[in-house]
Amino acid sequence: MQLRYVFTELRNGLRRNVAMHLAVILTLFVSLLMAGIGILLQREADRAADELGDNLKVLVYLCTDDDPSGSDNCASGEVTGEQRERIEQELKASDEVKSVRFESKEEGYKVAYEQAKRNGTQGPFEGRNPTVTPEKWPAAYWVTLKTPERADGVISALEGLDGVGKITDQRKTLGQIFGVMKVLRYGSWIGAGLLLFAALLQVSNTIRLAALARRREIAIMRLVGASTIYIALPFLLEALVTAVIGVALAAGGLAAFQYWGVEKGMAEQVTFLPWVDWHDYVQALIGYFPPGIVILGPALTLIPTLLLTRKYVKV
Amino acid sequence: MIRFDKVTKRYPGPGRPALDHASLEIDKGEFVYLVGASGSGKSTALRLILRELRPTTGRVHVAGKEINRMAGWKVPRLRRQIGTVFQDFRLLNNKTVRENVAFAQQVIGKSQREINKIVPETLELVGLKDKAERMPDELSGGEQQRVAIARAFVNRPMILIADEPTGNLDPGTSVGIMGLLGDINETGTTVVMATHDHGLVDQFTRRVIELEHGKVIRDEAAGSYGFQH
Repeated sequence: MQLRYVFTELRNGLRRNVAMHLAVILTLFVSLLMAGIGILLQREADRAADELGDNLKVLVYLCTDDDPSGSDNCASGEVTGEQRERIEQELKASDEVKSVRFESKEEGYKVAYEQAKRNGTQGPFEGRNPTVTPEKWPAAYWVTLKTPERADGVISALEGLDGVGKITDQRKTLGQIFGVMKVLRYGSWIGAGLLLFAALLQVSNTIRLAALARRREIAIMRLVGASTIYIALPFLLEALVTAVIGVALAAGGLAAFQYWGVEKGMAEQVTFLPWVDWHDYVQALIGYFPPGIVILGPALTLIPTLLLTRKYVKV
Repeated sequence: MIRFDKVTKRYPGPGRPALDHASLEIDKGEFVYLVGASGSGKSTALRLILRELRPTTGRVHVAGKEINRMAGWKVPRLRRQIGTVFQDFRLLNNKTVRENVAFAQQVIGKSQREINKIVPETLELVGLKDKAERMPDELSGGEQQRVAIARAFVNRPMILIADEPTGNLDPGTSVGIMGLLGDINETGTTVVMATHDHGLVDQFTRRVIELEHGKVIRDEAAGSYGFQH
């Protein structure tokens, strides 16, 4: 097979149709980028559910003097030993509770301070008159449930007890984050789907134009007995070149998203969640299911090219 | 070399078939005129030989193979044994004479060494050795048709099909083209030429197969054009 001819035709084909190829490349770039982001968000949701799943806890903060929750339970000020005992009894009696860990004011303060320091928001903890002090920090019970989905029973049992300040169900807090991520994820899928469809139409349009521009050559090639694959090869290579460029741009864009969006962005804001890393990025590129963008891009250009060239260059 | 067994070709839509139970046989090395009025089925017959069409019923044999049953992927190999020349030359205007002829070899995967050898030989055969680097639009009609014949013959086909090859040429030039087709026939290539040019048919006496309304109505070993239109 004369590859020189094939490559000359490829070069001519790419040059002849620059605007159309650019349109395909840009559409592929954006759609694959969205698909990639969708994949990363999907993996993020799976990862968070896997790693946190059963570890999500209910935090029962105990009243402090001048409790910020303003709860009626805290009317008597700082929680008393008696109140604590009552609360502990309630927790131990519950069938739903797997284990309970007590976190003292000092421990809680320390953890919060460390975290604030990591985020650069330690201002209220420091200075001559810090607004956050160990005395003002509430002690808490970290309650692990047998089934984290069924926190309501425990929460309602504790809510009315004296000495109980704010109760936080981590699952509910995370639920909001997951909710936002779900919307982003579905948005990415839908956007990617629509744009990939547009890319598909553009690819078929490009081939139609290229086949029209080369109809004389194609007619002669068929007459003198060139094989179908030989006739189709320049078209397939054109499609492959646009796919490779589109995929490369999308992979770069996705790397930027992973670095600035995740590592330097969300991961620094929300430290208690495990975040997708570069391994997940590689999976978003070359994973099988959902297919990574390195598979998706070429498939979406080569398959329609194969189908359409079969139609236009049929012997 | 070519055999039609009761071949009928019906195109979609109403009307009579383009070929109607046509049977004919052309042997290796023959030169045959296919004559008949427009719409008599000449072009359909040629396209059936090339396997551009399949018969509705009946069988077409070319080079010992029943081609109406041939798998699609084998068709290119069949066509490498058939050269084709058209009334409108069908040259690539962005390629030189040499490149036009070489194109037919490149696209079937011949090596550059083979191409460098056979293309000049073929151009010499058609009398265009000195015009190898000209562009098609710098040539006369007769010369363009010679390029087309060189392209059809460069792969040394067993069969050369010519569909009205002199249709666009003046009588003097046409005689030259007929001489060239005669030379190619002398090398053992079977030539099937569809034509309206009764002057040529009468002047270069050969076997004549006449079609009318898709039927073979005459087959003479050394015939004349036979009808006026």
